Amino acid sequence: MGRNFVILKKDVQEIEKNSSSLFKIAKKWAVTREKIPDKFYCQNSAIFQTRLVKMETLLQKDKNAKDLFSLLTSIAGEIGNNSFDHNLGQWPDIPGIFFGYDLNKKQIVLADRGLGILQTLKRVRPALKNHLEALKTAFTEIISGRSPESRGNGLKYVRHVIVKYPINLVFETGNAKLKLNNGNHNLIIEDVMESINGCLALITW
Amino acid sequence: MIELKKFGTTLISRQTGKEAFLACQSLLQDIKKTEMIELDFKDVLSFSPSWGDEFLTPLLKKFKENLILRKTNNPSVLATLEILETTLNKKFEIAK
Repeated sequence: MGRNFVILKKDVQEIEKNSSSLFKIAKKWAVTREKIPDKFYCQNSAIFQTRLVKMETLLQKDKNAKDLFSLLTSIAGEIGNNSFDHNLGQWPDIPGIFFGYDLNKKQIVLADRGLGILQTLKRVRPALKNHLEALKTAFTEIISGRSPESRGNGLKYVRHVIVKYPINLVFETGNAKLKLNNGNHNLIIEDVMESINGCLALITW
Repeated sequence: MIELKKFGTTLISRQTGKEAFLACQSLLQDIKKTEMIELDFKDVLSFSPSWGDEFLTPLLKKFKENLILRKTNNPSVLATLEILETTLNKKFEIAK
């Protein structure tokens, strides 16, 4: 009995640990606007850049990430900066992004409460029907939501890196979820029950 | 020769790429389009297509094959150059 109790207690702790994971905190913020700790909130891109450089320094020292630090920093930078670039002056409610990382769990999480990819890309591609189509377009075509500015290669870069290096990505916008796994060109895109207005990304390695 | 580390070692955002390009203009104004211009990535830690598009793309358009990039093993620089080459449908000249 005593042994079973210990296992049960450990399981409960594991569930609690997982339920407080960065991804869940970020998703809850993206869906419900629940307040997040200041350490995760970057109100503007200057704060994000500062925290990104801090993460880069920590990744360089981390034995599990030292060969990937440069790529992890650049793909996190592309995703985070996309949020600021595409929502500047148009944030529906809360400006800024969630940016958190746990190097022990080998994960980086980013989220925003912005317009989302469908609304952004519809400016230049009005025929896009839904979030799934928009997500696929964002990761496969050189297209910019800020046309005529020359942009639109950031998420293609993220895909390009993940295909070549041991990094994985989960990316959500609206009711669409994309999974991109190391070494695999294929995009796995599916519907999700819980819709978010902006974008949510989980990078793991 | 332009040493990119002089603009920072984490070269990620469009904003800072644009600022770096503008800051470079005083150095570039006396260089003719037919002269060689060399870029060195030494000591750059992280590099992204957003920064690269603001800085490298206009230099490539102006100097074409006279823009020479020094060899680097930095994976984020290499991956960025590959994606920019695809987007621009042009190749960067790498020093031999």
